[in-house]
Amino acid sequence: MSLQQVTLQVNGVAHEISVAPDALLLDVLHDQLGFRDVRYGCGEGVCGTCTVLLDGEAVSSCLVYAVQVEFREITTLAGLLGEDESLHPLQETFLRLGGTQCGFCTPGVILTAYGLAQRMPRPTREEIRYELGGSLCRCTGYTKILDAVESYLENRAFASEEARS
Amino acid sequence: MRDAALAATSGGQILVSEAAPPSIPGPGVAEPPSRSPETREPQGADTPASTVAPMRVVGQPVAHHDFIEKVKGSILYAADWELPGMLYGRVVRATMSSARIVSIHTEKARALRGVATVLTGEDVPSNQLVEPSAGGVGELLVAMPILARDRVRYAGEPIALVAAETQQIADDAAELVQVEYEELPGVFDPGAALLPSAPLVHDDGNVLTSWHIQRGDVQAALAAADVVIEGEYRTQHAEHASLEPEAGVGWIENDVVTLRVSTQIIEHATQIAEILKLPVNKVRVIAAYMGGSFGGKEGMTVEPYLALLVWRTRRPVRMIWSRQESILASTKGHPFIMRYRTGATNEGRIVAQDVDLIGDAGAYPYKSARVMFYAAALSCGPYFTPNVSVRSRAVFTNNVPTSAFRGFGARQVTFGYESQMDRIAETLAMDKADVRRRNFLRKGDVIPTGETLDTAVAVGETLERALARLEEPSAPSGPSKRVGRGFACNMQPYGRTIWFPDSASAWLSIQADGTLLIRSGVADVGGGQAASLCQIASEILGVSLERISVYIGDTALTPPAGGTFATRVLYMSGNAIMQAALKLRGLVAPVAAEALGCPVAEVVFEDGRVKAEGKSASGGAPEEGISLGELVRLCEARSIDPTTLYVFHPDAKRRGFDTETGQGASFPDYSYGTHAAEVEVDLETGEVEVLKYATCHDVGRAINPLRVEGQMQGGAMQGLGYALMEEIILDEGKIASSLLADYLVPTSDDMPDVMADIVESGEGKGPMNARGIGEAVIGNAAPTIANAVTDAIGFRPTQLPITPERVLALLDAADGTSASGSVSSVPGASCQ
Amino acid sequence: MTAMFESGVDKAMPMPSAPGALEDTHARVVLDDWERRWYGEPRFKYELVRSYEEAVFALREHGEGAKALAGGQSLVPLMNLRVLRPSALIDLNGIVAIAPQVEGGRLSLSAMTRYSQVLLSELVRCQTPLLTAAIAYVGNVRVRNRGTIGGALAHGQATSELAAVALALGGEILAYGPTGTRLIDAEEFFVGHLKTDLRPEEVVTGLRLEVAQSRQGSSFTELARRSGAEAIAGVAANVTLSPERDVIGGVRLGLIGVDERPVAGDRTILSSLLGRIPTPTEIDDVAAEVTARTAPVTDSQSTASYRRRLVRVLIRRALTEALQRAEERASAE
Repeated sequence: MSLQQVTLQVNGVAHEISVAPDALLLDVLHDQLGFRDVRYGCGEGVCGTCTVLLDGEAVSSCLVYAVQVEFREITTLAGLLGEDESLHPLQETFLRLGGTQCGFCTPGVILTAYGLAQRMPRPTREEIRYELGGSLCRCTGYTKILDAVESYLENRAFASEEARS
Repeated sequence: MRDAALAATSGGQILVSEAAPPSIPGPGVAEPPSRSPETREPQGADTPASTVAPMRVVGQPVAHHDFIEKVKGSILYAADWELPGMLYGRVVRATMSSARIVSIHTEKARALRGVATVLTGEDVPSNQLVEPSAGGVGELLVAMPILARDRVRYAGEPIALVAAETQQIADDAAELVQVEYEELPGVFDPGAALLPSAPLVHDDGNVLTSWHIQRGDVQAALAAADVVIEGEYRTQHAEHASLEPEAGVGWIENDVVTLRVSTQIIEHATQIAEILKLPVNKVRVIAAYMGGSFGGKEGMTVEPYLALLVWRTRRPVRMIWSRQESILASTKGHPFIMRYRTGATNEGRIVAQDVDLIGDAGAYPYKSARVMFYAAALSCGPYFTPNVSVRSRAVFTNNVPTSAFRGFGARQVTFGYESQMDRIAETLAMDKADVRRRNFLRKGDVIPTGETLDTAVAVGETLERALARLEEPSAPSGPSKRVGRGFACNMQPYGRTIWFPDSASAWLSIQADGTLLIRSGVADVGGGQAASLCQIASEILGVSLERISVYIGDTALTPPAGGTFATRVLYMSGNAIMQAALKLRGLVAPVAAEALGCPVAEVVFEDGRVKAEGKSASGGAPEEGISLGELVRLCEARSIDPTTLYVFHPDAKRRGFDTETGQGASFPDYSYGTHAAEVEVDLETGEVEVLKYATCHDVGRAINPLRVEGQMQGGAMQGLGYALMEEIILDEGKIASSLLADYLVPTSDDMPDVMADIVESGEGKGPMNARGIGEAVIGNAAPTIANAVTDAIGFRPTQLPITPERVLALLDAADGTSASGSVSSVPGASCQ
Repeated sequence: MTAMFESGVDKAMPMPSAPGALEDTHARVVLDDWERRWYGEPRFKYELVRSYEEAVFALREHGEGAKALAGGQSLVPLMNLRVLRPSALIDLNGIVAIAPQVEGGRLSLSAMTRYSQVLLSELVRCQTPLLTAAIAYVGNVRVRNRGTIGGALAHGQATSELAAVALALGGEILAYGPTGTRLIDAEEFFVGHLKTDLRPEEVVTGLRLEVAQSRQGSSFTELARRSGAEAIAGVAANVTLSPERDVIGGVRLGLIGVDERPVAGDRTILSSLLGRIPTPTEIDDVAAEVTARTAPVTDSQSTASYRRRLVRVLIRRALTEALQRAEERASAE
């Protein structure tokens, strides 16, 4: 049998499954494991729709084979939710400030912004713009996406200041 | 009283809310409808929009319903659906643009292990689609095969279908289908297609339709005009590039072919039934929430192929078009060739417009006939034009078919008329904004189709506000850079062409616990079509948004709403839900009045309860009233069903339409707006960088300002892509590259923030005086940029997209004089 | 979520009575008994390697159809599009990259270093600022997170920013193959359209670049039609002043988008700049002459004639800025 047994760690849960070596992480996540928030957009790595975090870094799941990422930490958008499905503060600002319209780019955009926020304490709007340059959106025109990310960062900075004082 | 204000705003008529001061549309109202150009006063900033009465939920930037699921990632799009035993489909497409099909061999494909079926044209019960898209008003009726059998007319035309156990096997099998072609001469340019010697795309000729609008005496007016500006403008094929590709899942349930697809129009169930030769009750179409469409899913995309594969295999089938397949073969926005001759007086007043429009319809009609009608009707823009001659033709070629794309013809002509307006100003050495002001339409004016505008025209205010946003001009960042400013005003219809009887239904019910259930056949493209219905119902019945559920887009279960296109959903379905809610309120209010012991007029719906307003018979605090759930029980006791179905028919005068003169009914109403930009051009590389971008549109009333701004910013960005970087390059009908990497849509790193200002004139035919906005927001971008580039470098781009190569070509062609006459030498000054 | 495929088999399709019972020439179907799914034959054999030796061995073993997989940002799209169909993928991602280091006046980058690591490296920013500047133009954040130095070099795209830097900084590509390690000059490495000097069973193991000198300045510039899109043309320039006098002592250019492969700016022409501080006109003349020696192509993104005009401007700007920076650094001493 040419299938391989792999363990994929997705949103903190280990999944032991059989995959073919030529199965893209995108297809395994979406079709086989049912993570519907990881979707096909272009298959070229250009649009950012299929973005997942791999050990905290944004990657195109359409350009990685599932067999390549055994035991790595994979995070999808649903992985940001709290215990009781409560919104992560970044999801909350996207909702409140209109950063999502059709929603198809949203998982990739939010995960990429989240990855940036984990890496840098307070990126500027220009730095956010640059980091999101690979996440195509056809609906929002990006302004409210940037507003949402900045708002999240501002609240986070405020909260950590408060925590310190 | 707020409630009285609501009751007064019934869709289809323009009523001003009692609670708000009457709108002051401008000096034009008191004057007779037809005025000679000389007596028009410029319409400036002294035409304030009415202040609209504040509401509890409507007018608030709330985020709710599907948007919550979208940020959580839990929403299910068309391809996020899975059924046991599901097969995977693939369309096999022609590789030639014009050919006879000699043979199709599917044996090898069928023999591949895991292939469930391979279908060709002979397997399609009724292998044709005829779209009388202009309502039978003079266009050629052309049959389009579902699967081409004898003839291929464009590269990418579907020839066969495969369904297999895995996508990979389906794709392998698709490659094994062998098609033998005999190449035929093709025609790839609409101008060439008009020549008598041109190869015929269809037997009856290459002109799908030709629209004419004649008003006044254009030739005489042009002859007498002080200046005549001639211009030719070209736009390109535009790809919608929705992030969600065309997709869907089909299955058979209770002997009904059921499709759950990304589609703007579930009513295609009728066509699907025809194709399968099934009765319509044996086909069901469900519209999943869509990941964008912009007109690309207005025609059927995966539906007929899914239906065929499902019907044949009796198994569930999923089909997702690859991005490259979508770029190659999905319908595109029309490239236009526009020729304008504009006559004006020395004072800058337009006296005549002579316009010739040619749209490349591609190989099949789709919506081309209608697009060219929109183009014709809107070709003069938001300006009073006493003498008009328009010819607008849709011409077949062996290129990829063109159809609906946000803006729908009115988008392209904005580039034409706004370039002309700037040129008039340049020629007369007049301020560009002033020229607009002198010509803006007003309520009560007659437009080229002979209709009289019956709502406020606040375009002047949008102009002032957009320009104000640009603030101080930026200095060039280097010696080889030039900064320029430009703007463009536009006019876009909302609501369907009124020759077609249109209607939209909404069903509304108060549940036993006071929660609301809405059913409406709308398709949600991502712009809050479904959510807006909830917001309106919430306002009228006083129920919070979390306690309202909406079910959309299902031919089996929701009352028909007519499809999401022509910016009609807020207008039609918004009015439907509003009327349904008012009617429901009217139905249950007497029961409440009796229970509360007050007159019906004092019953108030608030916070999920019904109260007697200001009841202070005993001088105490107002009572808490009763909960909606209690009210439902009381209604049931009286055999009153707390449920309504409302079918909204717009109150539009349905006159005829004279195809010779183009006079008659066209659209119910329009939205107006202005975009303004500052750009920097690199004279050595031709690069255009957008430094500032402002948008302002009149939406009558903003049901949800957050979403309205989102439409403006998104539409501007899509327009900027079309203005500067998006291009489908075809060579003999074959696309140069179908990679998304090569179809460049703007990223966050390419453009500045888009400023968005909303004007609320208080007059619109949608619910609560709202106007549709979805398409109004894209057409301004290209002429805004073209005008700004012209301001920067003194030469005018007349072809889209405005690439660095084309900018350099303009600079090269310079021999000291600009193409458009006088040139303002101070960047920005001409925009004040 | 548990597997939701209850019966992936339609009654109409016969089930094999035993694995391998059905023979056919096209696809061997595997029916996983536990999950009852259908699988076509995998398109390729997959092997994860943990060293370059293993990689070379595996490439040899799997023969001509085998391809090395590094970041996958160039290779996998081509496979998704069915344009490239390797029979085997040798996954190099089991090889641990060594952090960038400087030795003997050269910056050493391991082939499996990701673009993102380069971008974040303070060492790289100080020692080869030209590289940091250029990598910022590469693709998007996802491409940079996975794409590798070795993979980019091996792919040999005509518009590779990394290649331009390698050419401008005297790059040496380290390759390992059945015959051992080889050092290939960047100027010898890019030989044709997506063609490098690598032999079939060789893999890139590293890149060495000259580190910035005190009297040196560099500049990278490119024009793309949109952020993250492939460059229409680009220039990496490195200018060194003579040790004693403030005149140009050395100048190198790496050019992309000007040919079917990345190329170095013509040395003979550039040598006319040595021994002096050129005027703007002189720089432009040199830019024009260097451009005239290139052979840009027309493709779906741009024309040869536009590229020719563009690259002249970019060379002039890059040289001017590199010279300016060299002068600033020299005067800061």
